[in-house]
Amino acid sequence: MDAITLIQPQSIGDVLQAFKEYPEMGHILAGGTDLLPDLRKKKKEAPILIDIHHIPELQQINITGNFLEIGAAVTFAQIEEHPFVLEQIPMLTEAARSVGALPLQNSATWVGNLVQAMPAADGAIAALALEAELYIVSLQGSTWQKVETLFRAAGVSIIDPSQQLITKVRVPIPVVQWGTGWQRLGRRNALTLPILNCAVKLELERGTISKARIALGPVAPTPMRALQAENHLVGKQLDEKILQEAALLAQAESHPRSNVLRASAEYRKTVVPVLVKRALKTAWERAQ
Amino acid sequence: MNLTGTKQGCDYEGECGACTVLLDGKAIRSCLTPIANVEGREVLTIEGVSDGEILHPLQQAFIETGAVQCGFCTPGMILSALALLEQTPNPNSQQISQALEGNLCRCTGYVRIAQAVEQAAAQLRGEVSSPANQSTANLQPLGGNGLRSDSMEKVTGKAKYAEDYRFPHALQIKVGRSPYFHARIIKLDTEKAQKIPGVVKIITSADIPGENGFEIYSVAEPVLTKLGDNVRMLAAPIFLVVAGSAEIAEEALQAVDCEFQPLPHTFNMDEALSEHFPPIIGDSNILSSFEVKHGNLEGAFSNSEVVLETHYETAFLEHAALEREALVGYIDEEGRITVVGGNHQPHNQQRYIANALGMPIEKVRVITPYTGGSFGGKQDPWPFIAVALAVYHTHQPVRLIYSRQESFDASPKRHPYSVHYQMGASKNGKLSGVKVRINANTGGYDSGGYYIPNYALTAAGGAYRWQAVDGLARSVYTNGPKSGQFRGFGTSQSTFALECALDELSQKLEVDPLEFRLQNCLQDGQISFLGYPLAETLGYQNVLEEMKPYYKQFIRQTEEVNQQNSQSPLRQGVGLAGMWYRFGKGGSLRVEAHSELALDGHIVIYASAPDYGQGTQTAISQIAAETLGIKRDLVEFINADTAKVPNSDIQGASRALYFVGGAVHQTITTLKKAIFSVASELIDAPVETLTLEDAWVRMIEEPNRKVSLAAVAEEFERIGKSRRVREWFDLTDRVPLNQQVEYAPFFVTGAQLAEVQVDLETGFTQVLRMVAVHDVGKAANPTDAAGQIEGAMVMGLGAALMEEFIPGVTSGFSSYQIPTFGAMPEIKVILVEVPSRYGPFGVKGLGEAAMLPSTPAIINGICRTIGKRIYSIPATPEKVLKAILQG
Repeated sequence: MDAITLIQPQSIGDVLQAFKEYPEMGHILAGGTDLLPDLRKKKKEAPILIDIHHIPELQQINITGNFLEIGAAVTFAQIEEHPFVLEQIPMLTEAARSVGALPLQNSATWVGNLVQAMPAADGAIAALALEAELYIVSLQGSTWQKVETLFRAAGVSIIDPSQQLITKVRVPIPVVQWGTGWQRLGRRNALTLPILNCAVKLELERGTISKARIALGPVAPTPMRALQAENHLVGKQLDEKILQEAALLAQAESHPRSNVLRASAEYRKTVVPVLVKRALKTAWERAQ
Repeated sequence: MNLTGTKQGCDYEGECGACTVLLDGKAIRSCLTPIANVEGREVLTIEGVSDGEILHPLQQAFIETGAVQCGFCTPGMILSALALLEQTPNPNSQQISQALEGNLCRCTGYVRIAQAVEQAAAQLRGEVSSPANQSTANLQPLGGNGLRSDSMEKVTGKAKYAEDYRFPHALQIKVGRSPYFHARIIKLDTEKAQKIPGVVKIITSADIPGENGFEIYSVAEPVLTKLGDNVRMLAAPIFLVVAGSAEIAEEALQAVDCEFQPLPHTFNMDEALSEHFPPIIGDSNILSSFEVKHGNLEGAFSNSEVVLETHYETAFLEHAALEREALVGYIDEEGRITVVGGNHQPHNQQRYIANALGMPIEKVRVITPYTGGSFGGKQDPWPFIAVALAVYHTHQPVRLIYSRQESFDASPKRHPYSVHYQMGASKNGKLSGVKVRINANTGGYDSGGYYIPNYALTAAGGAYRWQAVDGLARSVYTNGPKSGQFRGFGTSQSTFALECALDELSQKLEVDPLEFRLQNCLQDGQISFLGYPLAETLGYQNVLEEMKPYYKQFIRQTEEVNQQNSQSPLRQGVGLAGMWYRFGKGGSLRVEAHSELALDGHIVIYASAPDYGQGTQTAISQIAAETLGIKRDLVEFINADTAKVPNSDIQGASRALYFVGGAVHQTITTLKKAIFSVASELIDAPVETLTLEDAWVRMIEEPNRKVSLAAVAEEFERIGKSRRVREWFDLTDRVPLNQQVEYAPFFVTGAQLAEVQVDLETGFTQVLRMVAVHDVGKAANPTDAAGQIEGAMVMGLGAALMEEFIPGVTSGFSSYQIPTFGAMPEIKVILVEVPSRYGPFGVKGLGEAAMLPSTPAIINGICRTIGKRIYSIPATPEKVLKAILQG
């Protein structure tokens, strides 16, 4: 690894200052669990790392109004330990627990996981189903942006970490009845990338589904929503028939690739409906 | 700071957990943490866990439960456990699993680690009193609690592994390797690279003064491939760069001008054997073959009710020891070229080095340090010769540490097999004849593959009575990675195929698979599959009888669970498999060891039984202590340093305890006699009235009539008697019995049961419970014996469900998945002690055998759960689902 300067801004203003001082040379450093290996393998170059751990407001988990807000320096382990998350959004707890293993969850951040933009990033699949929004700050200004706009291609996000900082991610907390579900399949239980993962959110009004979000990975170049399956569920109750129909729609929408180390496209396609059904069922039960 | 407890097992990718430290009390990967990030925060490494000499209860529990084998993962594991217990004093098993599943261990199977965490937690909660901080040396000889003599150093991070041998200004070795699976080297120009400042020497085949090869260890495998010759696998070594730093060496690697003419390649044995594929080396792609033939097969088949024809295949497997290949070299105080590195036999490495350097053997020394696991992987002589060459040319200390990717690319693999069976049986379940054809994929080089057919075929018959046998096994060259030594060399693949085929046959016959095996099992003294009787006792029937109640219980329970959850996609089933394993290898039947009465009165053993985690250091000391009738703290074992100990021959095929233990037993017996004879003079008492107690020789009847061992040693000196005794364990007149055979027929047997749960909708399999019953002869160290078995079982589980090396694709722990903590089933180990005829105190070989039945037991479990057959490993979710869905 080439010599790297680490700077440790104390505020978001300092980060912007660093963006200004070192155009195109800096790179935001959060957990570092993906960035450090990439730097060592020279997949990425960054002479200056801008470490965001010393900025207090990025380390917070807040519940404000109808949103859960999670700062950019918050680790997956901190999310797992948060009682509100476990009670209200168990799918997010489960997704956080799926990332690598505990020592990685102790460093890795949700925001970092999103910026990596891998098609099956557990954090990204969860964020997509939760309709997460990101607060992006740069010298040009700041803006909330929906998570689905983040992913450009496999491993490529719209964020330029030399001049943009996501300070936080927020998840709307529905006022209606709702529930979430998580499913993940790997070759072993931990320290493994998923063969498939699936996150679901269901909102219920008067006993029927008013909104459904189904996110799946890796079944497309970027984390994918099964839009037709979602639409099919709206206005319905979740019985076996609807479950089956939605699962098959999600299957039809999925275009997984073969990976010699993980699974073939054919297998993934076969199992998509299984995971979708299970996640939907869990979400439905949790919403009751 | 010169701390050595924080280890590195992967290429800074966070894949192994060996570098775990606590940052403000949280377990993190130090390899993924920028150093500036820890400024002002508390970092705890293993060195800070104990309070001076007082061990933390976790460290104590790791020692007491036998949770430490090679010790390489131990510091990280203890730290992860510590973080858990600080936060969760009373963790449930799921919480323990979650806390530890980020730390890989390849030796223990995690079973004892889980026990250690529970024990320490109970102690920290004050529920059990904490025992005094006991020394691991002052312990019982044979049997008993079996605490290891080296665990203390391993749980505190003080144990020095090869990479912890530090020399200021040591040179670094990097290896120039083939980027092709098969190619001719058409240009090799090192001139430009040699001129880079800091490059000390670039070594090519022309710089090898002796043989560019490995004697008989590997036929036609060059140490470095020369210009004009062919490289036959990816990462085949071509040149070495020796430079002042790893960075300079890396730069020089790129600067060497090496050009290739790619040649057609294949990993497939059928293609390599087909007429249109040219020989990869020599005249044919068959490296060697072996045949067993007796009885009238045609007659046996024609009298059979059922003749099953079936076919099984296995994958390339990687040892994945947590410590990579790591060696240091230097010139020692006597001017010898010295190499320090984990190995299976220092004297053989010494010989291979001397042979490559064209030097007398006395000018070479090999030292065995603490070794972070081997499983056969560190038997490859290549890294030793490379380091020796660098020392030879530079006369300076050098280091060679493979990257994890290099370890995956270049180290030998387990031979993939293609096994074709025809086997017959009568309607009442009596086996008749067997025809078996095995091809073993040796990859691009021999590397021990020459001997594979014999092992393959021997295991393919099992401890069963066959009326007729027609077996042929061949070792086949391809352009896959060179296959070589791996726990259960050549036998685990055949055992998988045999035990699965027997399961199929029992299903066809509609007989109980356990009764079926019992009905056909070989008895001590009967003619074996090989056509002759065995030299050692055989406890297979005892093993199977012992298994019966567990088998019945498992069957009953899974039926109940399946009935209760008939709507669930999760189904359970039970698989059974047996095994026989030939221990002892083709090594010498005459093995040497020395012992000495030191001047201060303690006893020193000199022998070679390298301990890479399996516990020979302890078990051999126990044999000595038992022979003397004293506790182990009086025994010192100088092990596996060619400058200090005799050649106790190759260690492999689980022969150390039987053979080296036998030699130690002999030498100690002779030494004890000599001690008693001198003591008898000193205290004027007949030899037969004497006993040894602690460091004193006493008269049994008059305990006050005594003389210290130190005084006896002094008397040895005064009368000019040698305090060092040289002895041999010699079975040459007992074996080969009435048959001339290449390998002495010493066998151990065992059987295992696996209760599996298959998700019928995804194919994902979880092994819930396993029972292992093994005839180990006398268990020298029951704790360690069980620990070896558990570790072997989880390794077998990995082979059954997830492990597969794909040439050119697999590059490390993220692409080669070994079982994590959460994969561990509940395991019960039962030792059946049928004493051996010749081994010291009745011991037999164990370490490798235990993994043989694990894979087929699990696969049979899956097959019986889903009602379909799986014919190859690993049984990935995809493969299992495919079997479920096929018509």
